Formats: sequence, structure tokens, C-alpha cells
Amino acid sequence: MSFLGPFALTTWAYIAGGAALLAVTAYIIKMRRRRFEVPFSFLWKQVLEQKDANALWKHLKRLMSLLLALLIMGLILFSALDPTLGAVDREARNVVVLLDASASMRAMDGNEEGTQSRLDAAKQRAKELIDSMGGGDIAMVMKVDGQATPMSRFSSDAPMLNKIIDDIQPSDTPADLTRALGAAADALRDRKNPLVVLVTDGAFPEAQLGLATWDATSKDLAAVQLNGIDVRYLPVGRRSDNVGIIAFNVRRYIANKAAYEVYIEVQNFGSEPARRQLALYNGDTAVDVKPIELMPGQRLKQIYPRLPASGDNKLRASLRPVDGAGGSDPFALDDTAYALLPESKKLKVLMVTQDNLFLEGAMLVYDNVDAMKITPEEYDAKPSYADGMDVVVFDDHTPAVIPAPPTSLLYFHPTGPNSPFKIAGEQANPRITDADENHPVMRWVTLSDVYTDKSNVFAVDAAKGETAIASSVRKTIIAAKREGRRKVLAIGFSLPAAGRESATDLPLRVAFPMMLVNALDWFAGDQSDLLTTYATGVRERIPMDGVATATEAEVTGPDGSVTKTPIIDGLATFYGQRVGYYDVVAKGITGKETVASITLAANLASPTESDIAPSSELTLGGTKLEAPIAFAVSHTTKLWIYFVLLAMGLVVMEWITYHRRITV
Amino acid sequence: MAQSGQSGSFAAASASMTGMKARASSRNKAADDRSKLFDEKFLKTLEHLHMVSRKVFAGNLRAERRTRKVGSGIEFADHRTYSRGDDFRYIDWNLYGRLDKLLLRLFEEEEDLHIYILVDVSDSMAIGSPLPKLHYAMQVGAALTYVGLANLDRVAILPFSDKIIDRLPPARGKNRIFRVFEFLRSCDIGGKTELGEIMKDFVAMNKRRGLAVVISDFYDPEGFEKGLNTLRYNKFEPFVLQVYDKKEAEPNLHGDLALVDCETGDTREVTVSKSILQQYTEAHEKYCKSLESYCTKYAMPFFRTHTSIPFDELVLKIFRSGGFLR
Repeated sequence: MSFLGPFALTTWAYIAGGAALLAVTAYIIKMRRRRFEVPFSFLWKQVLEQKDANALWKHLKRLMSLLLALLIMGLILFSALDPTLGAVDREARNVVVLLDASASMRAMDGNEEGTQSRLDAAKQRAKELIDSMGGGDIAMVMKVDGQATPMSRFSSDAPMLNKIIDDIQPSDTPADLTRALGAAADALRDRKNPLVVLVTDGAFPEAQLGLATWDATSKDLAAVQLNGIDVRYLPVGRRSDNVGIIAFNVRRYIANKAAYEVYIEVQNFGSEPARRQLALYNGDTAVDVKPIELMPGQRLKQIYPRLPASGDNKLRASLRPVDGAGGSDPFALDDTAYALLPESKKLKVLMVTQDNLFLEGAMLVYDNVDAMKITPEEYDAKPSYADGMDVVVFDDHTPAVIPAPPTSLLYFHPTGPNSPFKIAGEQANPRITDADENHPVMRWVTLSDVYTDKSNVFAVDAAKGETAIASSVRKTIIAAKREGRRKVLAIGFSLPAAGRESATDLPLRVAFPMMLVNALDWFAGDQSDLLTTYATGVRERIPMDGVATATEAEVTGPDGSVTKTPIIDGLATFYGQRVGYYDVVAKGITGKETVASITLAANLASPTESDIAPSSELTLGGTKLEAPIAFAVSHTTKLWIYFVLLAMGLVVMEWITYHRRITV
Repeated sequence: MAQSGQSGSFAAASASMTGMKARASSRNKAADDRSKLFDEKFLKTLEHLHMVSRKVFAGNLRAERRTRKVGSGIEFADHRTYSRGDDFRYIDWNLYGRLDKLLLRLFEEEEDLHIYILVDVSDSMAIGSPLPKLHYAMQVGAALTYVGLANLDRVAILPFSDKIIDRLPPARGKNRIFRVFEFLRSCDIGGKTELGEIMKDFVAMNKRRGLAVVISDFYDPEGFEKGLNTLRYNKFEPFVLQVYDKKEAEPNLHGDLALVDCETGDTREVTVSKSILQQYTEAHEKYCKSLESYCTKYAMPFFRTHTSIPFDELVLKIFRSGGFLR
């Protein structure tokens, strides 16, 4: 008989000992009885004296009751050990099947005809392995992609394990072999005859294959310790010819945001020359299609300059197969890549100001602005001037009537009760000591040596989503906030102008136009340095446009699946499992209103994974891995069910005899 | 002597009050509340009982009763041999003529009958639901007292447990009944049942012989015989009234219990099964039967009642049997 349960025998012994101790203690502890007052216990004494004549039998019954309880408990605990008849203890193995489900396993070369993927072939091999397991063998299935995911516990239930293997879906991420081996070694710790079977195409980078050691005395902490573990290799895959897009990105020109350029890198991983058509799409419109020819191992870098932006910001690069030799490959995943053009549009800006050359001059620096100017008196007389504007700038003027959302607002020196931020006082000669460098408005801006003779101080309420952008020793000088889709920025001091007493050297510094441009970009939701194209299988932190109130974002994947991701310090965590476009949406405190959203593109972008050449041999930590040996086959009988039934029978018997007052 | 014995006994009784009060906290709270025990309705019932007693025993009630005391009455009782010093006037000269022996004629002495109502107020009497046995015993005691007072007997009331707790001195006339009510309402209760010792104290305190009505559950671990024998040996006429609660005769118990004696505090753990209950019921019945057969054997009037029987019904039964009224 062998024991195939989830506990080690020593663990089981501790549990059984503890349970037995509890049972015995419960029998030793005096039973708390209901007190009942009688007028004449003398009569009860007479009756019980007759009964006490049978005291020996009474004690025996109590002892039998204890033994029965221990027996029931013992049977249940014993069945938890999963006692099995017919398993060959000596050869029984604890197996972890590491099934590679990384991107390269999507290659359609599982069979000669090219109708089966590598993953399907790997599943078949894994199931054959499971079916050949002996009676005493138990196995755990683990999926290997960018993560290592245990799909089952250790079990000898072959149909269940086969079903789990059938349900495994391939990922679009590279494989992390080191992590998978580490997880398998942890799972096999303290188990007899540990065995790891790698079912994979063997397309791993050398660096990963080197991060394993069989030497128990190894001091390499990064290497997975495999000492005492038998690691075997079941190879799948036949072809190595593949041409894939390994890089695809796009950017707008800083000077002209109406135009953009695209970078594509394609590599031939095969050993024969290859031919393809490289197509670039903006939305559904083909921007460029050209035939390419690549020598074995050749890497082609393609740049598409000065492409005019259209309404659709989604770009797609595609490698189309062509007829003839070297015109196609079995791995389609890296034949398409996605990218996103950063958002940009020309802003309509209304400046409410008396003549202010500093402000107007700075505004002229920025091409993407369509600026208009009115005086404060004109605005107060007719606030509808602001209708349809994207941004209104109030220069030393705080009107009672402000434009309706989503028009964003920029204030210089707001005063009085209509100020967008509550004014807490005034500060003479403020020095900017703290600046929120993570805020989009403060990118590349240094204000530490700016001179200002005086400034209003804002009382910022974080609960309302207000943030201090620049402060002078905790006194907020520049503040920003969101009001739904509207964004508001307020600067506590005035710009120098004719007839004003205030003095600051900010307009004379580079920081001023930079900050103004940043502010306008922030209002427009445009961040020119924002990366929107990422590789799958890599955890990234994405800035969520200065979001301060949301702690969680919803991520809608290319397949429509919705997952949640945390936002910490305005950065959302992103992990791309599939190639394609992702929408990341952060909701407000109410959970209904969208406060920020961003669209991202994820591509395989992994030359290692695109190199699909299978290895018939695998060398791990300097040791060549062998194919698995045949398992010992034997007939097994599970005994736990009989023990549980027996325990149930005893419980029923005890119940009946107790309630019929036979055993009390 | 009687006085000193009496005061000594009361001192001992008051000394045991502390213990009684301590036990009172665990006693049936309903038993402590005796404020509504003797209401107007109760008084009317007593009057009715008195009327019935007169009707039933018409012509036989001339206020006085005869005692067994032989003395200077007018009704002949017996003869005895003359001894030196006897009154010559009572020598039966006719018999001397016929038998040539000097014999004296004896007459029954007529005097007031003394009735002693001994009410058990021990902790075991506090048990009973809805009416505690104690209340039932007090009502029966009060009813018998009323009839006795109305018949111009001298009636004394003595509540007892392990001591004679208090004493309402003998009195006659039914206007005394309110004093009786007040006494029964306010007397202390609680303690163990110790009939043997109590009766010794009782006979020492009361030199005038008479009817001793003992109202109790007779749950004395030492047995009831000793107490009743003391009464008999001292020429009292014991009149035994056993009161019990139906639930204590046939308790409805089951499961694992700790049975606590309400008087001694002794605890016995028991798992009550059907068979044990059956044995207990039999033991209780046997105990009651032994009391009954003892009383029958020594010609003591005996009545057994449970608290479900209305007290006036019991009193009428007593009247009809003729043990109380003569």
C-alpha cells in the first residue's frame, strides 16, 4: 500500500497526534451538565445506587465511546492519506509537467502537414506521458509562458489531468523558463523521486538555460537549484523558418504634430532567403505596401518619414506571405504588429488679458494653438466668447462666470471667492521648494530659482482631486485639478504687464514657455514622450495623465476580456498577455465617471521568441536533458472511499445508540 | 423549663437565619412572595368551610371537646384499684358490695383541646409549580386553624425546618385568624427538614397535650418515623398531612443533568433515561406508601395530597374522615 495524499507522512502524524490529543482531552474534561434542583435527592441516590452496581459496564461504555471516536477520526485521517493498493512504492514518482504555452508554441508545425500547432503537439505528448504513469505516480501540470501557473495539484487522476492539459490556451508572451523551473523545484521539495518533464520547443535564450544548477554547493543565487531533481525533455516543433516584425513604433514630430514617422524592424530567423510583402496601415487604410526580401538572419530596418496624420490613430504593420519558396512561415503571431499615434489636435485658446506680450509671445511659440484675445471687460460683458474654446486663459482676472466644461482653464493670479482654488493667504518672496515632477505640466520645468515678489497661496483639498504642483515650503503656489473632463491650472502670481505692481522673472526663463506648452498639452491630453507600444509578457507602469483620485483601472484586452489593475502614484500596472490594443480606463471616486483613459498597443517584439527554431536537445545548467523513461505500470485500488464509508457507518451507529440511550 | 427551652430554641433558630438567607437566593422566588396568599377570596372559602363543618357535624359541636385526659368530669371513663390517698368520694361502693374490692370510678375530664399546626417551611417545600408546596401547606394550615379557632379550640402554629423557626402561641376565637395570616405571611422560611429533632423540641416546648397536625412533604433523609414516634410517645395525637408536587413525583427530565438537592446542596450527576425515571417514580411512590402504612399501623390520621387538588377540597375530605373534628 502506498499513500498518495497531499500531506507528507510526518505532517499527517502531527495532525493525527493533535486530533487524538484533542479527542482524549475532550473526554477527560468534565462535561458541563444542566443543573436541576430536586427536593429530595435521597430518592435519586437510592435509584442511582442500583445503577452504580453496573459502574464497571458504565466505565467500559465510556472507554468504548472514546475508542470509537478515535477510530472514526483515525479512519477519516487515514483516508486523507489517500491509501492506494497496487502502487509500486519504490518506483513511484512525483512529476511536474512543464507545458510550454509561450508565443512560439503557436507555430503551426506540430505535424508534417502544418495543420497542428506546436502547443497541440505538446499537449499530445504531455497526455501520453500522463497516461503512461504508473499506479504510484502523481503529477502536477504547470503552464509556462511569461509566468509559471500551476494548473492542478499533485494527482494520479489521469483523466482530470488530461482535461486540464486540453484546456490550456497559448499566450502571446515569451516563456520564462527560469521562473517555471523555480516553481517546479519548490513544488517538488521534500517529495520522493522528483521528476520535471519539460514539454517545449526548446526555443529559449542561452541566458535562461544557464540559470540552473545541479550543484548543491553552488553559490549562484540567481540560478535555480535542481540538485536531486530529474529533469527530462520532450521536444516538439519541426520548422525553424520564420520572418517576424521585431520592432514597430511611431512618433509625432515635436515641431509638427500633424505629421508622424514610423519605424519597423523585420528579421528573417530562417536559414533560407525569405520574401514577404510589408504593409503599413493607418486604421483600415493601407499607407504603404512594399515587397521585401531577406537573406538568412538579415534584419531589415524600415523608416517611414513625414506621414500625414488622419483621424484614426491606430497603426498596424503586417507581413503578408507571397507565393513561391520562402514566401511563408508557420508562425503568424509576429507577422502583425500594432502601434498607436499619440493624440494631438490644434487647440482653440482664448486669452482673457489686457495686452501681455509675455503671455502672447509664449503662446506664439506653439504651432498647435489657434489663439484669440479679448479684454477682461469684453469677457465679463459677453462670456459666450468662450463657447467652443478648448482652453481659456485668465490673466490676472477672476470672472464670476466661467465657460462650461469641457473647456479647460488656466489662471494667472486668481483672486477673490471665484478663484478655482481656495485662497489661504499671500506669501512674500516665495521660493519654489517642492515641485511635482511627475505631473505633465512640470515635465522638464525647473522653477527653483524663479524670483517672484509675492504670490497667492492656495488651500489644496486632496479629497476633491486637487493637487499641489509647486509649493514654497508647503504653501501651494501652483495647483491643478480635474473637474470631470475639464482640467484647471492656477498660478498664484501675476505675469509682469503694464500697470501691474507685481514682479517675477518667470517669463524671462525657458521654464515659462515650456510650462505653458506642457499645460496646453495636458489640457489636450497629449504627452509627446508617452510610450504607447509595449511588449507582451513584461510588466509596465503606465502614467495615467496625472490621475490622483483613482486607485484602480479597468483594462479591456484585444479579446474583449476586462480585468482590473491598480493605480499607484498615478501609474497603472500593465501586463500584456495578448498582442493587440488595450484600453485602460480609470474611473472617479463614484466609479462611474471616467477621469482618465489611455489606449495601448502590445506586440510580441521578442527576437528570442520569434526565433522559433526547435531544439532536439536541451542543455540546462551544463547538463544535457534526456527523454523521459517509461513509467512502471500497475493496477491500483483507491481505498479512501471505503474508509470514509466505514467512518460514516460508525458515526451513524454511534448516533443511534446514543439517542436510544444504549451507550449512555 | 419549658420557657427556657423555648427561648433557647428560638435563639438557635435565629442563629441559623444567616444560612437560610444565603440559601434563599437559590430558592424558588415564587415561594418567598406570600403577600397574596390570604386574600378576601381565601377568607370567604374559610367561612364556607366553617359552615360546612357545622352542617356535617351538627349536634356534636358544643364548643368543647374531650381529651383523653382522665379527671374530674361527669362522664364515666373507667375503674382502677384504690390506692392510699385517693378521694373516698369516687369509690364505687356498689362494686365493693359485689366484689369486695375497693375500686375507684374514673371520669373523662373536660377541657379545651389544644391543636398544634406544625407547618414545614424547609427549602424542599419551596419547590412546586405553579403553586409552591409551602403556599399550599400554609393555606391548608390556615384553614384548619380557622376551623379550630371557630370551634373555640386553642390553636397554635409552629413553622419548622431544622428548627422551630417561630411560634404563634395558642389562642381561641375566630377573630384571631388575621393574626394567623400575618404570622404565616411574615415568618421566615428555609432550612433542612429534620423531623426527629424538631419534634423533640416541640414536645419540650408544649406541655399541654393535644392534636399535632404535621403538614410537610416528609422529605427527611433521617426518616419520618423518629419525629412521629416522639409525638406518640409524649401523648400527642399526630395528624399527618403529606403534601407533594406532581412534577416531583413524576419528573419530566431527560439527558445529562446535575441534580442538586435544594436543602443540602448535594450534587449528583446523572444521565436520565426512561428506565431511571421509571425507577425514581417507583421509589417515590414506595416512600409515600411507607409513610401511609406507618400512619395506618399506629392509627394516626393520614392524608396525602398534591398541590393540584384545591386546598378546600382537602380540608372537606379531612372533615368527612372525622379525624380533625370530633
